[in-house]
Amino acid sequence: MEAQSTSSIEVFFKPRSIAVVGASPTPGRLGYVVVQRLVNRYKKGKVYPVNPKYGEVLGLKCYRSVEEIPGPVDLAVVLVPAPLVPGVVESCVRKGVRGIIIISGGFAETGPEGAKLEEKIRETIRGTGTRVIGPNCIGVLDLHGGMDTFFLPEEKMMRPPPGDIAIISQSGALLSAMLDWAAHMGIGVSKAVSYGNKIDVDEVDMLEYLANDPETRVIVIYVEGLRPGRGKAFIEAVRRIVREKPVIVLKGGRTERGAVAAASHTAALAGSYEVFRAALRQAGAIEAVDVVDVFDLAKALTMQPPARGDRVAVITNAGGPGVMATDALESLGLRVPLLSEELQARLRERFPPFYSVKNPVDVTGGGSNEDYRHAIEVVARSDEVDALLVVALIHPPGFSAELADIIAEATKGTGKPVVAMSFGGGETSVLRGKLEKSGIPVYETVERAARALWALYRYGKVLGVAR
Amino acid sequence: MSVRKIIEEALREGRSKLHEHEAMAVLREYGFPVPEVALARSRDEAVEAAVRIGFPVVLKIVSPSIVHKSDVGGVVLGLETEEQVAEAYDRILANVEKHAPGAEVVGVLVQRMVPKGLEVIVGATRDPIFDAVVMFGLGGIFVEVLRDVSFRVTPVSKEEAFEMLGEIKASRLLDGYRGMPPRDKDALADIIVKVSRLMDEVKEIKELDMNPIMSYEKGAAVADARIIVDGRS
Repeated sequence: MEAQSTSSIEVFFKPRSIAVVGASPTPGRLGYVVVQRLVNRYKKGKVYPVNPKYGEVLGLKCYRSVEEIPGPVDLAVVLVPAPLVPGVVESCVRKGVRGIIIISGGFAETGPEGAKLEEKIRETIRGTGTRVIGPNCIGVLDLHGGMDTFFLPEEKMMRPPPGDIAIISQSGALLSAMLDWAAHMGIGVSKAVSYGNKIDVDEVDMLEYLANDPETRVIVIYVEGLRPGRGKAFIEAVRRIVREKPVIVLKGGRTERGAVAAASHTAALAGSYEVFRAALRQAGAIEAVDVVDVFDLAKALTMQPPARGDRVAVITNAGGPGVMATDALESLGLRVPLLSEELQARLRERFPPFYSVKNPVDVTGGGSNEDYRHAIEVVARSDEVDALLVVALIHPPGFSAELADIIAEATKGTGKPVVAMSFGGGETSVLRGKLEKSGIPVYETVERAARALWALYRYGKVLGVAR
Repeated sequence: MSVRKIIEEALREGRSKLHEHEAMAVLREYGFPVPEVALARSRDEAVEAAVRIGFPVVLKIVSPSIVHKSDVGGVVLGLETEEQVAEAYDRILANVEKHAPGAEVVGVLVQRMVPKGLEVIVGATRDPIFDAVVMFGLGGIFVEVLRDVSFRVTPVSKEEAFEMLGEIKASRLLDGYRGMPPRDKDALADIIVKVSRLMDEVKEIKELDMNPIMSYEKGAAVADARIIVDGRS
């Protein structure tokens, strides 16, 4: 594996000219959707349909081959059947194409014949500087710049709004579902890449590129396995990048076991997932447990600063969720410390005796919006806690959606991360919207809110700012 | 003998497992706390070695075909005198003859007996993706039944080694528990870092187990070691 600069990846997102090999004039065909999306969405480069069978696709002149296109071609998106792909790649290399996205399947994932085709492609690009994403992938999506090689029509897979979460995924299907769901939830995404069989560009290359991408603030990776021998480079890349931005990893294939035949205890115990987890920890990546967790953690990491310690204050108006929040936080290795006598006394100054001021601080269902202000101002500004989990159940009469503004105001300028749990419909959805608009992530369960704080603490540790 | 020579010799002889005295010699060269050992090929050599090393000693059968030495009566602990050593030498050979007839016997290892401590295991293997990986755990049921172990990919820093000690569920035992003394974590972290360095420098080593290592209030001692080598590196 020769070292490649990250600038060789840029062509996949900012090409000035794109050839779509396997373009089709028939609506619904992949070769149609890809041309259509690029023409409609991507304004920074020319699109050239390529297919010897047709003279025109979507009103554009269709070329017989990539080499026939007049002028330079930066990027080729390849959709033709697998056996034809090596020939197309040769043609691209002769033409001086710098990036090739091979969408087509039918390669190593199908058996040794397919693997031979991959080997041929690898041979062809070796030493040429041409980079390849795929095969067996859906390519790239850039929500800021408009590049979109995803062959899924918008009515099937909505595109998320431009945001600051980048997602790279070994699985195209999972990525499509994640993006569609993110769009549905209104979660913004910067770039998404499906790299499939990764015969050339892999997660390490993409990580390096996204590390320098100004539009990306959190990187999410779904990975099943790394290429043999590529593990240490992965750790090194992640370790470098997490100093700039958090990396969230979702690992597929966790129960898979390593080789069974082993002559030592160590080899018998070193299953691939155990080792992968250790590697993630060493690298400073944050491990998500499922797809929903991915966005929960990403949301927290883009909206809130890292925690400088493991001490969490729980501010609530309901006893049960306060207890459950404490359980969830402690089981993740965070602490919910008893507040000092002095701090309790300061809380008491404005609270009736039946409020609990120990931590969780419970203003009870009989309290009001303003009680939250007092509780948060006293606790968040003390040096006894590093983060806040606010349970905001506004169903009793003393509370309203205005609580969102109070939480935002009271926590402002403390430098401590705040996450909220709020659950319900009606006015609660107004509160939730207001909170997230002011940069406070909201979760529907205290367990998910606790996970969010855990991620902020882990990231604080990674950056070396947390005790 | 240097590490390189020991491994070359094993590979030349077609062995993937180093004899225990060879494994101990490799570890000694890398500065691990290993007890003094000598390979004896006769009863007299065993007695002579025991006198030179100092009592108490342990005798262990050295045979490439025997994996579990104790199962065939190939280990005798706590020998205090020359007579006991001589008797144990004969007994081990007789046991092996009986329980593992035809096993190739290289000799008998005479090893300074290390005092009992908290038993821990430090090992290493090579992962196809991450290459060298180091493992730490407590010995006995903790590793065998509970799989209570922690891993790191090499190179492992001293700081990461301390994290490994703290990551296992039974880590409180290292801090002292119910009248048991706290253990010398620095000595254990040092062993972990040395394993990492050994694995990164000697690519022929495929697997390594130090099981058990005796962990003390001050220091630690490797009581048993196994090293698997492979020339294809």
